[in-house]
Amino acid sequence: MTDTRTSMEEQPLLEIHGVTKYYGGHQALHNISLDLYGGEILCLVGENGAGKSTLIKIVSGAIIADAGTVSIQGNSYTALYPRQSLDLGLATIYQDVELIDSLTVADNIFLGDEYRSRSGFFVDTTKQNEKARQILDMLHIEINEKVLVENLSSAQKQTLQIVKALHRESRILIMDEPTSSLGYEETRSLMDLIRRLKSQGIGIIYISHYLEEVFEIGDRVLVLKDGEYVGMYNRDEVDPDFIMRKMVGRDASVFFSRKKSTIGKPVINIINMNWKESVVDVSFTVHSGEIFGIGGLVGSGRTELISLIYGIVSRDSGEVLLEGKRVNIRNPKDAIRNGMCLITEDRHKYGMFQEQSVIENITIAHHQKAGRPLISMVKDRQLADQMIEKLDIALADGNQIVTSLSGGNQQKTIVARWLLDDFVLYIFDEPTKGVDVGAKQQIYGLMEDLVEKGKCVIMVSSDMPELISMSDRIGVMRNGSIVKIIENTDISEEELIKYFISG
Amino acid sequence: MKQERKILSSKVFQNQWFLLLVVIIGISIFTTILNPRYLHLNNIINVVEQISSLGVVAAGATILIISGNFDISVGANVGLSACVMAIMIRADISPLAAVTAGIFVSVISSLLVGYTSILFKAPSFITSLACIGIFRGIALAITGARFQNIFGRFETIGTTRLFNTIPLLFIIALAVFIAVFLILKYSILGRRIFAIGSNPRAAYLVGIDVNLNKLIFFAIDGLLVGIAATMMLSRIGSAQASTGSGMELRAIGAAVIGGAVMSGGKGSILGTFLGVLLMGVISNSLNMMQVSPYYQDVTFGFVLLIALGVSSLSQAKKAGS
Repeated sequence: MTDTRTSMEEQPLLEIHGVTKYYGGHQALHNISLDLYGGEILCLVGENGAGKSTLIKIVSGAIIADAGTVSIQGNSYTALYPRQSLDLGLATIYQDVELIDSLTVADNIFLGDEYRSRSGFFVDTTKQNEKARQILDMLHIEINEKVLVENLSSAQKQTLQIVKALHRESRILIMDEPTSSLGYEETRSLMDLIRRLKSQGIGIIYISHYLEEVFEIGDRVLVLKDGEYVGMYNRDEVDPDFIMRKMVGRDASVFFSRKKSTIGKPVINIINMNWKESVVDVSFTVHSGEIFGIGGLVGSGRTELISLIYGIVSRDSGEVLLEGKRVNIRNPKDAIRNGMCLITEDRHKYGMFQEQSVIENITIAHHQKAGRPLISMVKDRQLADQMIEKLDIALADGNQIVTSLSGGNQQKTIVARWLLDDFVLYIFDEPTKGVDVGAKQQIYGLMEDLVEKGKCVIMVSSDMPELISMSDRIGVMRNGSIVKIIENTDISEEELIKYFISG
Repeated sequence: MKQERKILSSKVFQNQWFLLLVVIIGISIFTTILNPRYLHLNNIINVVEQISSLGVVAAGATILIISGNFDISVGANVGLSACVMAIMIRADISPLAAVTAGIFVSVISSLLVGYTSILFKAPSFITSLACIGIFRGIALAITGARFQNIFGRFETIGTTRLFNTIPLLFIIALAVFIAVFLILKYSILGRRIFAIGSNPRAAYLVGIDVNLNKLIFFAIDGLLVGIAATMMLSRIGSAQASTGSGMELRAIGAAVIGGAVMSGGKGSILGTFLGVLLMGVISNSLNMMQVSPYYQDVTFGFVLLIALGVSSLSQAKKAGS
């Protein structure tokens, strides 16, 4: 730590001062400041929704802050555009790989910035390959510059992203969860590469859920929580437990105190479910009157698991018993016929019929289930009104287009869709994502009502307080398996997150 | 307040048909001043007769566009279907059998477009593009590229006029529009059309069999194409491989002018009806004003561009508010 400090230039490469960002009424970031020096690795940690992504998007110019300044190599901005940050030597590497599969490694590195032939019309492939080789050699990366990107492994693609960023002579590198799709060996070599970059004087902001990595390569650790600055710590002065406490510690007010229902008979048995490498040998049982929470990090296989149960993808092996009977669910239609429903995670992508009215959005599933060919507009409105009242959906008229509602009311509309009929199993995928506090409480209340009536609920959630306050039991997923099922009597966030990350 | 304004603007947008009506009346007044013959009963009958078969094709196009699909082979399909009917009638097969066979051909052709689109996971725009060649080619082959005159053996539909004024063709077109209106508004099939066009993934997740329904939409479209081919054959009294060419563009154009959106999920049959009427009125007005027929296509092109402009502007406004 001390020796890197001395080698640093006196001026920080990157300075963020008082950055604040609101999404609607929701405060995503509040008054965040940090500085980053050359030859330093600054780790950014926090739970899902802590504001890490928002922060790096502001720094890279993808979004504009409501207040505060970003200074890159001494140039100060209140509003920054992606092109500017690139030109100033800041490169961001996002989780999703942005490479073009049908081009070669060299072509990808120089994409948008190609070496031209003398006429200026053709790409000088020879020179480009040569230059690419030089950069790759310099970083000790053994990837052939002439192969197509589609033939690379995900680790090689991740590495190539870094190379691509570096060829622009970036001085600042931001990496968002670079190892989330990598195996052990691959992670090791990426860590080595990052250390080499550091020794060349590059400043790195490294975002990771994995505290082992953070403590292995980080110099300083910045903790964010619910958009707030918690603290900046020197790696050598703290330990992972301390950081974990800082990440999750929050006041009890975010917890919902749930009324528990009597747990009844087993309703759904999932037995040895397998699908590709995303779901590995998963078995569990959910009882009537029970909310079974599923937790885990992004990419742990939670979404894949419920996609399997709901028939969106077909399993490689395994069985589902519903009320003791073996059911064969090949598609969502089968799932619904057997008494399951799914409240999807991303309502824009998978839930809403954007151009249609609230009434149509609420009644669609009911009509599918009822299967009567004709629709009565009067009855439709009655059904919808009943739900609008029950869920307290704020709107002017049921014929309003659904997208004209606020996020919380949109979500309630989607939930309402499944309350017109009786189901046995309700699967909620991130039920309150992007929803305001009021709507959140109502959705929780609804889930309570469902289990009180003896229904069973499976709830996938990345929201720790939600998972802890709503679940009767929590299944922890890691690498496609349920590694532990916790009786949720009195678990703390720290304990839970420990299970997410390791044993 | 903000919510209110949004509702207001969406209401105005839904009333695109009102704007169309104003334009249609405006053109009519303008043409009448230049040539009073425009308002003669015979001319009006002429206009509605001309637009009837286009209207039926446009009604089918509306269903497909709302469902997020697109068939540009309907013109060729009309031609093929009409040729099959004409050849059979010439061979002294009863007109009823010939029409049934022709409609069967158009339904199968339309299903081919839909089925290949599902099978290859390709947009139906592309598969229909490929099918144009197939349909026209078959029509050319079976007719030997010759003109198929049926010498008035099948003119009842085309010439009958109720109370000696209202053409039966127009009644058929109206009946089709009313049927499609009812389907879109009051049937579960209609809800599926909008749902699939709006968000196919969400439709799948609420238990809609997206592929099966897509086939149903194409079958309905094929049925309407067959009906339109019958109407055309009966009115013109002959068919050839090029019969119906260009119809797809006018039909899709009418739907778009009427407020259907290419990305699906939105559209109205009333709007399409007015779109078709507008096309008929423009074409007739240009005739009345003795504008060269070549300029008609130019005019249609511009009308379509203007309609797209208006709809994209009001979309942008909605997004901005």
